[in-house]
Amino acid sequence: MRNSRTIVLIVLVALAIVAVLVPYVSSYYYTDVITMLFINIILVSSFRLITLTGNWNLAQVPLMGAGAYSSALITGSLGWPFWLSLPLSAIAAAVIGLAMSYPLARTKGFAFFIASYAAGEAMVLCWTRFKVPFGGWTGLVNVPPPGDIGGISFADPTPYYFLTGIIMAACLWVMYRLARSRIGATFHAIHSQESLARSIGINITRYKMLVFVVSSFFAGVAGVLLVHRMWAVEPNQFGWVPTLYLLVWAVFGGTRTFVGPILGVTVLTVIGELLVPLAEWVPMIYGFILILTLLFFPEGLEGIPHRVQSWFGKTRTRTAAPGEVLSEGQLTEGQH
Amino acid sequence: MEFVAQTILNAVILSSFYALVAVGLTLVFGVMKIVNFAHGEFYMLGAYTVWVLFAVNGWPYFATVVLAIVLVGLLGVACERLVFRPLRGNLLSGFIASVGLVFVLQVAVGRIWGVGKMKPVPAPYRGDVVSVGGVSVDVQRIIAFVGAVVLVALLLLFLNRSRTGRALRASSQDVEAAELQGISVNRAAVVAMLLGSAMAGAAGALMAPIMSVYPYMGGLVVWMAFVIVIVGGQGNIKGAIYAALMFGFLNTIITTVWDSTIAALVIAVFMLVFLAVRPQGLLGHAE
Amino acid sequence: MAVLELQGLRKQFGELVAVDNVDMKVEEGEIRGLIGPNGSGKTTIFNCITGFLHPTGGKVIWQGEDITGEPPHVVAGKGIARTFQLTNLFRDMTALQNVVMACHLHTGVGLFGQFLMTRRTKKRDGEIEERAIELLETMGIGEVKDEVAGALPHGHQEALGVAMALATEPKLLLLDEPVTGMNPSETKDMMERIRRLRDSGVTILLVEHDMKAVMSTCERLTVMNFGRNICEGDPNGVCSHEEVIEAYLGMS
Repeated sequence: MRNSRTIVLIVLVALAIVAVLVPYVSSYYYTDVITMLFINIILVSSFRLITLTGNWNLAQVPLMGAGAYSSALITGSLGWPFWLSLPLSAIAAAVIGLAMSYPLARTKGFAFFIASYAAGEAMVLCWTRFKVPFGGWTGLVNVPPPGDIGGISFADPTPYYFLTGIIMAACLWVMYRLARSRIGATFHAIHSQESLARSIGINITRYKMLVFVVSSFFAGVAGVLLVHRMWAVEPNQFGWVPTLYLLVWAVFGGTRTFVGPILGVTVLTVIGELLVPLAEWVPMIYGFILILTLLFFPEGLEGIPHRVQSWFGKTRTRTAAPGEVLSEGQLTEGQH
Repeated sequence: MEFVAQTILNAVILSSFYALVAVGLTLVFGVMKIVNFAHGEFYMLGAYTVWVLFAVNGWPYFATVVLAIVLVGLLGVACERLVFRPLRGNLLSGFIASVGLVFVLQVAVGRIWGVGKMKPVPAPYRGDVVSVGGVSVDVQRIIAFVGAVVLVALLLLFLNRSRTGRALRASSQDVEAAELQGISVNRAAVVAMLLGSAMAGAAGALMAPIMSVYPYMGGLVVWMAFVIVIVGGQGNIKGAIYAALMFGFLNTIITTVWDSTIAALVIAVFMLVFLAVRPQGLLGHAE
Repeated sequence: MAVLELQGLRKQFGELVAVDNVDMKVEEGEIRGLIGPNGSGKTTIFNCITGFLHPTGGKVIWQGEDITGEPPHVVAGKGIARTFQLTNLFRDMTALQNVVMACHLHTGVGLFGQFLMTRRTKKRDGEIEERAIELLETMGIGEVKDEVAGALPHGHQEALGVAMALATEPKLLLLDEPVTGMNPSETKDMMERIRRLRDSGVTILLVEHDMKAVMSTCERLTVMNFGRNICEGDPNGVCSHEEVIEAYLGMS
């Protein structure tokens, strides 16, 4: 155990060093790409939280939008500073998530999937339809970047890169601790044996709502970081296309481990950059990746070490593909 | 008064169109227990077949409609074999895989025939309009309506009267019992996918002269079909038809009084509430 | 004093009447057996008591309070715990982790405490772990605490299920076929532990098919058939009751 701890620490430090060097060795374009990657990492990690309870939330991207729109309105219309708007907008996203979680807690599995899509879609339609206050189809513009600190302007890519990186690290730390805590174990318990969890006194509804609210909070953070990079927001950014991309990241990377989805989004972003000359083909390539992943390695990237192990004969228990709950199926009498 | 009559007429025609698309999706869902989100792309490909052959190459319209039905049906079968069969039983994975298909098909069409521009398909009956007492409808829409009704009726006939059709219904209700009776699940799936996709292709072909044809035209259609399938009872064909009527009217009325975005909003909220309030899961009728 | 009372309890599934107007009183501190052929409604009664099913009619009174239809987590909070017929465990967690999870009920799971890992949280987590180990030892499975639950032999799994139920500090324990699939020595062991549990103050309601175990441990029996309570009394008396013999002859 000592060994793997040290390895993880070394890897993290190495990554941090690389991350710090990036803006100094590459162009503004790539600094910006990595900034977007950081934002997407927060998003996909917040998505993964909910998958701990066995639910796949299609309102995740719209909830990021909730954070983005809130911050656009707070800093744009109200004129409040970014540093105040960041926590407030994340809380706003969390509150919207709380409201959504009331009806959603009554659904699970595939019904949750579709209901969450409907909830997210309803939000995006509101932004599209109501020019006041959301700006309608064209959205809101003139969203200011974060205010200067000691002469550093966050309108520039490099400072913004570091800001995003630091916030991302903080968010990941919190989400990681949560997933590893007894609360995280409870989420997993709810997913694996719901009846048992109920019988030992766990209020399933409350936990589902809790994870949804926390997840929405972090999606909101991602949204705030997004809107203050683009200085504008429009409903199209949170429609079904970005949601589909989120799904591809999660499926490709796997959601069983904390780092799975992060791997997924990172590898796919790299692939996306390598394929820039073929940009119009990228959605199709993503589509193929999605299908091939589901057919041939449903555990995703994070399952690869395990796959390799089983080739060498050291088989372990199988991890679940999206939509499967292994333990439940092995135990309940009438499996539907 | 005429306004009401016109609205009702529009609603009925829209409902017939919804029914055609939704019934195909219901069949696939009921038999294969898979939701094919690429159903909208099958619809789109039906429309493109008509555009390519009729509008661009001048083939006779009805011939191209028939060809669209056949080609899309076959494409559906191919997808079943390659993508859905291995994932059978896992609802979520099947759905996500169908999302992958959406991407693939949309980009393929967009690359071959271009993305942004709407393809106009000239009405084979040159925009003739029929007017009865202040209520008017163009002939093309009447043709589409009649086509939709005929196809749905044929499907119902097939499911109720033919042996294969009854086998499909049995598979839809209880897979294990059906297998015990010697019905091959694989074959049922192929037939379901063939017919279901063909229906979508037919809808696209019939609607091509009326609607704008572009690679993303399937998106709105499939969501609506999906809503209808779920509200209609997931696999219940008659239920889907009733639900199609209901949503056809709902959509038309709301769009007429307000606008289509509000209509979409109402439907999204409706779905959320519907799913939250229904005590049973999304799969199966009662648990 | 009757600590659990079923008044006219009824549960229907469409046309099928699974529980048909059952009256039953369980006294505090007794070990009551609930027996009957398969399908006589025993597990359905458990499910109605613990809130997994909503009764179609009748009442469940616990310690004088009407808890009919309360959800399972609330019922657990009021002091009724249960095990499941097909042993329900968190299969990929260790035995210890399973019991720790079940200790959840009586510990505040502080959100911020878990983040910050304050000294108080660490201390409380330590206390929970100690208690969990104690519970495992009470059920005789202390040595396997770090084994993955899904890999345990059947007898240990049953014991773990009971340990988890105990973790919720129940006053009434509903055991659903606790010795099914056990060999005679394991059975004797489990029944002995059940007696000791009762002696420590837990009322026990037991569903079981193993007649030897039932006769030797239960002080009173309630016999069910076709969803009805056909007979109640001490084990010997009940055995000679006509309807009971019919029920069992009919089944064997």
